[in-house]
Amino acid sequence: MPHSGIDPKANQLLAALPEGEWQRWHPQLERVEMPLGQVLYESGTTLSHVYFPTTSIVSLLYVMENGSSAEIAVVGNEGIVGISLFMGGESTPSRAVVQSAGQGYRLKAQAIKEEFNRAPVLHLLLRYTQALITQMAQTAVCNRHHSLDQQLCRWLLLSLDRLRGDELVMTQELIANMLGVRREGVTESAIKLQKAGLIQYARGRITVLDRPGLEGRSCECYAVVKKEYDRLLPATVAS
Amino acid sequence: MAAQNHLIEILSASDRRRLLAICDTVELVLGQVVCEPATSTRHVYFPVDSFISLVATVAGSPGVEVGMVGREGMLGTQLALGVDATPLHAVVQGSGTALRAGSAAFRRELARSASLRRTIDLYIAIMMAQLATSAVCLRFHEIGPRLARWLLMSRDRAGADTFRITHEFLAYMLGVRRVGITAAATRLQRVGLIEYRRGLLTVLDRRGLEAMACPCYAADLRSYSDRLE
Repeated sequence: MPHSGIDPKANQLLAALPEGEWQRWHPQLERVEMPLGQVLYESGTTLSHVYFPTTSIVSLLYVMENGSSAEIAVVGNEGIVGISLFMGGESTPSRAVVQSAGQGYRLKAQAIKEEFNRAPVLHLLLRYTQALITQMAQTAVCNRHHSLDQQLCRWLLLSLDRLRGDELVMTQELIANMLGVRREGVTESAIKLQKAGLIQYARGRITVLDRPGLEGRSCECYAVVKKEYDRLLPATVAS
Repeated sequence: MAAQNHLIEILSASDRRRLLAICDTVELVLGQVVCEPATSTRHVYFPVDSFISLVATVAGSPGVEVGMVGREGMLGTQLALGVDATPLHAVVQGSGTALRAGSAAFRRELARSASLRRTIDLYIAIMMAQLATSAVCLRFHEIGPRLARWLLMSRDRAGADTFRITHEFLAYMLGVRRVGITAAATRLQRVGLIEYRRGLLTVLDRRGLEAMACPCYAADLRSYSDRLE
């Protein structure tokens, strides 16, 4: 049965915790609303919490000195935001922004550090880190070689996988920021997808009408990332 | 002790001894593929004066470099994350020596030493920051500044101002066409920052190259020194 956003186990990493960890973590998990555009942390700042999205999606953006930014990875109910807390260095080079409103749970920095220092180390979090590394590397190569049309499809599919419905509440401005392109470019691409009957865009809502069609138009980066996540992480949430 | 790999140098004396005991010294040759996607990792490498490019590929395109590993780092961090294979190609970009350990022996050392684990974790965080920089660099920066960045990264890892390189290889690494590289390299040469003759590239003016490079070069150095120096 699907978990609701109110259940922490709607997050796949939390759902896959061994019983002992779950018993320790559960009382410390704090449920949070994650509204669209909320900044969970800025690059270069010290993280106070890690976040486990349940129904929200968080975008990790790399911000350059001149202020322009581009997304390097997305994190949804399959993952955790703030791995740098246990992977070294208190701060992170990225900014984490809620890209799709919803809920999640958070755990204080101190708590996750203590958990990570326990033996045995939480293998699941390590494997998730490797999956995230793959996503980042693929984003890099995608930025070089693929058209905006393909990238938009990839981005929509990665987002959809992290949501329950076929609908994404999203402005084109925000997508442009994520993809590091001008808004006009996103508008053009979105119109093409709409004309082809793959999506419908109205009043800040994108509805996916033809998912296989979207997959057909996406660059392979979507499939590469998905395959790696499937390989490295257990599909713990019943679908 | 001869110049070594930085990750090994910063270990405690006993951890270093134990790690060195499971390593042998190998020669890595330009163009050699040391790790391929979806194959089990048999060895980890700690470059000494060699360096290795991490290349992500996509069907129909030659791929592009997303990271570089030299004496400041190691190849095979996925083992520390409990994962046996990675989707990246690792190609030797600068010939030289490296210390190599078998996967099983390296895993045993990781299990034994918390401080080794900590060092590798920090290096993983540095690699992730480098991947993030690369992703954004590939999106926003022109070939000239990217080439300058790349030359500086290579120079730092080669530990020398002169190294062997072809324009084809540069084009492959930077994910651009060869003519683009030739034009960018010619510009750098004309202003006296580099010299390129018969496949040998020499950095003549390091400061000048730094001024020319995109901010990603400095960002990577900062990210490293924040964590591991």
